[in-house]
Amino acid sequence: MRALQVRRNPGRFGLARLAAGIDTRAAVRMGPLEYVRIDPPDLPGPDWHRVRPRLTGICGSDLATVEGHAAPYFDDWVSFPFVPGHEIVGDTDDGRRVVIEPVLGHAARGCPLPFPDAAPGDGDDYAHLVRPPLEPGIQIGFCASTGGGWASELVAHASQLHTVPDHVTDEQAVMVEPAAGGIHAALMCATKVVGVDAPVVAVLGAGTMGLCAVAGLRRYLHGVRIIVGARYPVQQRLAKALGADEVVDPAELPRAVRRAVGCHMVGDHLSGGAHATIDAVGSSASIGTSLRITRPRGRVVLLGMPAEVRLELTGLWHRETELVGAYTYGTETLPDGSRARTFDLALDTVASCELQRLVSATYPLADHVEALRHAAAAGRRGAVKIAFDLRSSQEARR
Amino acid sequence: MARDDRPNTGAASLRRLTRAVAPAERIATTVGRLAGSRGFPYRAPTIPVGVEVPKEASRLGADFDTDFARRAPAKAARSVITNGPVRLMVKALADPQIFGVDRLDDLARREEPPPLIFAPNHHSHLDTPLMTVAVPEPWRSSLVVAAAADYFFTSRVKGTAAALALNAFPIDREVTSRASSDRIRALVDDGWSLVIYPEGGRSPDGWGQAWKGGAAYLSSRTGAPVVPVFIDGTGAIYGKGSKRPRPGRTRVVFGHPLTPLEGESTRRFSARIEAAVAQLADESAHDFWTARRNAARGATPSLTGPDVTGWRRQWALSEQRRSSQAGLRRRQKRRWPRLD
Amino acid sequence: MPRPGFVHHVDRSTPPTLFWRGEGFSLERLPADRSRIIYAPEPLPAIDDIDGSIRHALEHPIDDDPLSSKMFPGMKLTIAFDDVSLPLPKMRRPDIRQRIIEAVLDTAAAAGVDDVHIIAALALHRRMTEAELRHAVGDRVYDAFAPRGLLYQHDAEDPDALAYLGTTPHGEEVEINKRAAESDLLVYVNINLVAMDGGWKSTATGLASYRSLRHHHNVHTMQHSRSFMDQHRSELHKSNWRMGKVLVDSGVKVFQIETTLNTDTFPQPFDFLSKREWEWSARDRAAFVASSKSLARTPVRLARKIFHSIEAPHQMTSVQAGAVEAVHRVTTEHVYRQQLVEVQGQTDILTMGIPYICPYNVHSIMNPILVMCTGLGYFFNLYRNKPLVREGGVIIMTHPTLPDFHPVHHPSYIDFYEQVLSQTTDPKEVEKYERRFAEDDWYRHLYRTSYAYHGVHPFYMWYWGSHAMQHAGRVIIVGGDTAAVRRLGFTPASTMSDAFELASDVVGRSPTITHLHTPPLMVADVS
Repeated sequence: MRALQVRRNPGRFGLARLAAGIDTRAAVRMGPLEYVRIDPPDLPGPDWHRVRPRLTGICGSDLATVEGHAAPYFDDWVSFPFVPGHEIVGDTDDGRRVVIEPVLGHAARGCPLPFPDAAPGDGDDYAHLVRPPLEPGIQIGFCASTGGGWASELVAHASQLHTVPDHVTDEQAVMVEPAAGGIHAALMCATKVVGVDAPVVAVLGAGTMGLCAVAGLRRYLHGVRIIVGARYPVQQRLAKALGADEVVDPAELPRAVRRAVGCHMVGDHLSGGAHATIDAVGSSASIGTSLRITRPRGRVVLLGMPAEVRLELTGLWHRETELVGAYTYGTETLPDGSRARTFDLALDTVASCELQRLVSATYPLADHVEALRHAAAAGRRGAVKIAFDLRSSQEARR
Repeated sequence: MARDDRPNTGAASLRRLTRAVAPAERIATTVGRLAGSRGFPYRAPTIPVGVEVPKEASRLGADFDTDFARRAPAKAARSVITNGPVRLMVKALADPQIFGVDRLDDLARREEPPPLIFAPNHHSHLDTPLMTVAVPEPWRSSLVVAAAADYFFTSRVKGTAAALALNAFPIDREVTSRASSDRIRALVDDGWSLVIYPEGGRSPDGWGQAWKGGAAYLSSRTGAPVVPVFIDGTGAIYGKGSKRPRPGRTRVVFGHPLTPLEGESTRRFSARIEAAVAQLADESAHDFWTARRNAARGATPSLTGPDVTGWRRQWALSEQRRSSQAGLRRRQKRRWPRLD
Repeated sequence: MPRPGFVHHVDRSTPPTLFWRGEGFSLERLPADRSRIIYAPEPLPAIDDIDGSIRHALEHPIDDDPLSSKMFPGMKLTIAFDDVSLPLPKMRRPDIRQRIIEAVLDTAAAAGVDDVHIIAALALHRRMTEAELRHAVGDRVYDAFAPRGLLYQHDAEDPDALAYLGTTPHGEEVEINKRAAESDLLVYVNINLVAMDGGWKSTATGLASYRSLRHHHNVHTMQHSRSFMDQHRSELHKSNWRMGKVLVDSGVKVFQIETTLNTDTFPQPFDFLSKREWEWSARDRAAFVASSKSLARTPVRLARKIFHSIEAPHQMTSVQAGAVEAVHRVTTEHVYRQQLVEVQGQTDILTMGIPYICPYNVHSIMNPILVMCTGLGYFFNLYRNKPLVREGGVIIMTHPTLPDFHPVHHPSYIDFYEQVLSQTTDPKEVEKYERRFAEDDWYRHLYRTSYAYHGVHPFYMWYWGSHAMQHAGRVIIVGGDTAAVRRLGFTPASTMSDAFELASDVVGRSPTITHLHTPPLMVADVS
């Protein structure tokens, strides 16, 4: 089959990194990503299914890998060569339309579940992620054994498959995985806003993850005032449409939060601030801003994957701010006490919030250079989510 | 060839002239074209129809402006030679702080500012050069200072130097002769401003002396207003009896110009001037409001010091000097009495 | 003999006209045969013996007893004076306020008064710095009173320092500075730069709080003040006069001292800025070329510093003291004597160059909101009877309109620009946001402890232009930052001819044009 594959080649990673500063196309061409013909992956076991992707999204972490910016942290958690792509809606062999929960969790690896009904992402020991019989890999899209979404076939465990209801379109379904991430981050703010009078949550960054977080906040945390810092007009429009109360330019965000909360400013820190802040950017500057605009003993949720950053942490220490990472989804506890799987909440959200609006363009696999270039400049070019469309090749094969 | 066969010299010389002038002409036409192409404001403005432009007054003949001789260039020449060193010396020795110049603003704004008679208290020979530095324009450049005849004018060299550097004229300290007072009046009538010390001489012990009526008399005769001036600190720097001056800080405070009231005697007017200087001293030592209230109550501290003699007078003087802003920069080294 | 102001009809021989553009100026050609330029009257001569005139006014007041007879030992005396927003540009030392306050203090000292407070009547403006206070009242008064805490600034957000005195029949609450209200005598020292100042506005606005000010600083009042340079057609003044009656009835004793200035605005060698262009000498033209060229190359911060350091040579032309209303009548006559210009009829377009300074950015930055206030608030309202431009006409202003805000002086303006103007520019809609800004604790803190205008102040700036916004069909700013001009709700243009082009779909291809050649200040009497 035809697939996009990432091979281990430090030289090419380095070249990609250099070139990425100038031009994404050059980075993609020189980098570790290749468009090759490979054999489809074998089914590792009886509970595994073959899935043929319809639409696969391009995520910020995929872009980072392709451009050589992936953190060295992940070296031990991935296995080369792998096919990227983890935001997948596709068809199984038994005719179901499914979305994939990409984390290769306990069930997929044949390890005992941490608690009954645990989702793949749950648990507090990650040892299983690198245990045989599968190759190491935190999720589908980073594992040599399973393949990934940027190909015409991959394999997934039954525990990772969620049937898509008929009323949910393919474009909505491809947003399920990012929406789950956003909802998870939104619900991580719950402890700080439930039972509080007039809570304020700030969101930095209105790319896919930021917008999904906004949708999650509006849908699952009632009564919260959401203030979003968005740079581009299309992002600002979508943030407003998804329920943000105030959408401002990122430079104006501290003042907007100050106005909403009514506190003072001491130096460039707010004396009080938002009850929780979701940072969907993940740069030194954005994390610094998040720490400055979150109130003492508030929480900053790091949704965007950061690399190595320089931070002034005295403020965090003095204000007793919580800085937590929001990686993925699993089982959530909602404010009213009920429990639900994040993916189930996401399936509900993509339809009711019409998240197909976030899919701005699709490309066939062969056009991957253009697709990645568009994804890298998405905001500037008025786009949010770019995806690969594999339906036509499926049709051709049928 | 006959002489008459030579070409017409008139045309040739014209041609030579044209050729010689050509480069300059090229420059001139280029400039003219540039300026012409730009228009206003590079060229003079065109006058709109139906508007009258006021004509500028003629500057020739009887209206020829001679002020320049009394202004910057001539003065600059003089000041480079004499005033510069004097000012530097004063600034180095006395570091003057000057207050109250705004009280003279109304007179300064007039078309023809009247000459003024400055009447300061007197503690030191430093007072005179200090006044030449402190007095504001337009009076500074037409200022003459009364200098003690028996100190500044004892030799030709000293006298010439004083006259040149300070624009000084000699004045007798004890008795003012008729001739010299007439001379002074003529100076004022000519537009010169005066600095004159009503106390006569410098203070012998640091406190003020009795005021004489010279300034008041001159003012009532010439009509020039008297400006009371308070000088602080010169006594400590180079008082009477000091061998050499010690650098310090001084203050000069100008008061409101005073003119004699209808039918006021010279003695009364002189007392008024003295009271004004005492009020300026109060203002300098404390503040404006305290000084005004003291003046209204008649409680202004006297310039002549406490009504005691001997060591207590000196003691009170050193108290006053210690609390003053002016005077020596460094505190006097404390002299412990030898008890053995 | 100073010449009166006049209206010049532009013909083909008229040289180009000076237009101010913030910290700079340019020359623009106005179309011949349908444009006119209004030139201000030349400055009247100042009084010769200013100190003498002040003393005379204090002892021979209008409709009142001499000041010395009103003073007695043990009384509470309060002297209030106009703040740094007057005069423009600042005067050379000694300032008029210094002279008057010293004269009043002389009288007070002679009468044995000890309890004196001196208050800067700044309402909701920013506090003055030490240097600005020293410039206004002089070093002698500052050094005597400030260290003792007897010279200070009105704090409209200190509930213990305010006294509520009652309500007018229209329901307008009157609340002023408590010390001023409870004194045995309140002496107000005023500078009447324009006809809007003075009268009861001095005390009822200058020493008031937000609770009082909101009753006349609002859209309705400003839209019905036609104009606020004309006391008898101004709702702003009617409201202040009603409040004045409440002040009198509740026992506040005001001794009003008002002064007028001539319009000698520019020192040498910049006096060409007020001259008629066809009277510019060679030296004037050289000064213009040199300064406009060097200013174009100077960084904005340095240019601002240079301009704000200019001290104008203007001086006092009259001083009168006594009962508020009687004094103000005389003062207004003097203001009109210096500033009034007779103008026939209105035109389709009104053009004006906006200078670098207005009352609210002294030693500061003119942000876009202040550009609007200076043009549509002040300059548009320099008329009596009718505006210079017809209803539905076009107003064209020139100013760089940079979106720069002074972070210390104008913090609430930044939020106003970002939050309010991005939603709406309609003054009636803007009014809905006012409460939140007025009651914000941070702005209140900055107003009281830093040098910031009150949180509500940018709203007042917007209301000041509300009549013009209602009256004009379109407002165009030439040479302004495009995004900022659009945020203000106006149309940006790069050149004057582009502006006329843009105006043509409102006023046609051959509109009549009036150019207001200001500064120096003037009031157009439009018939």
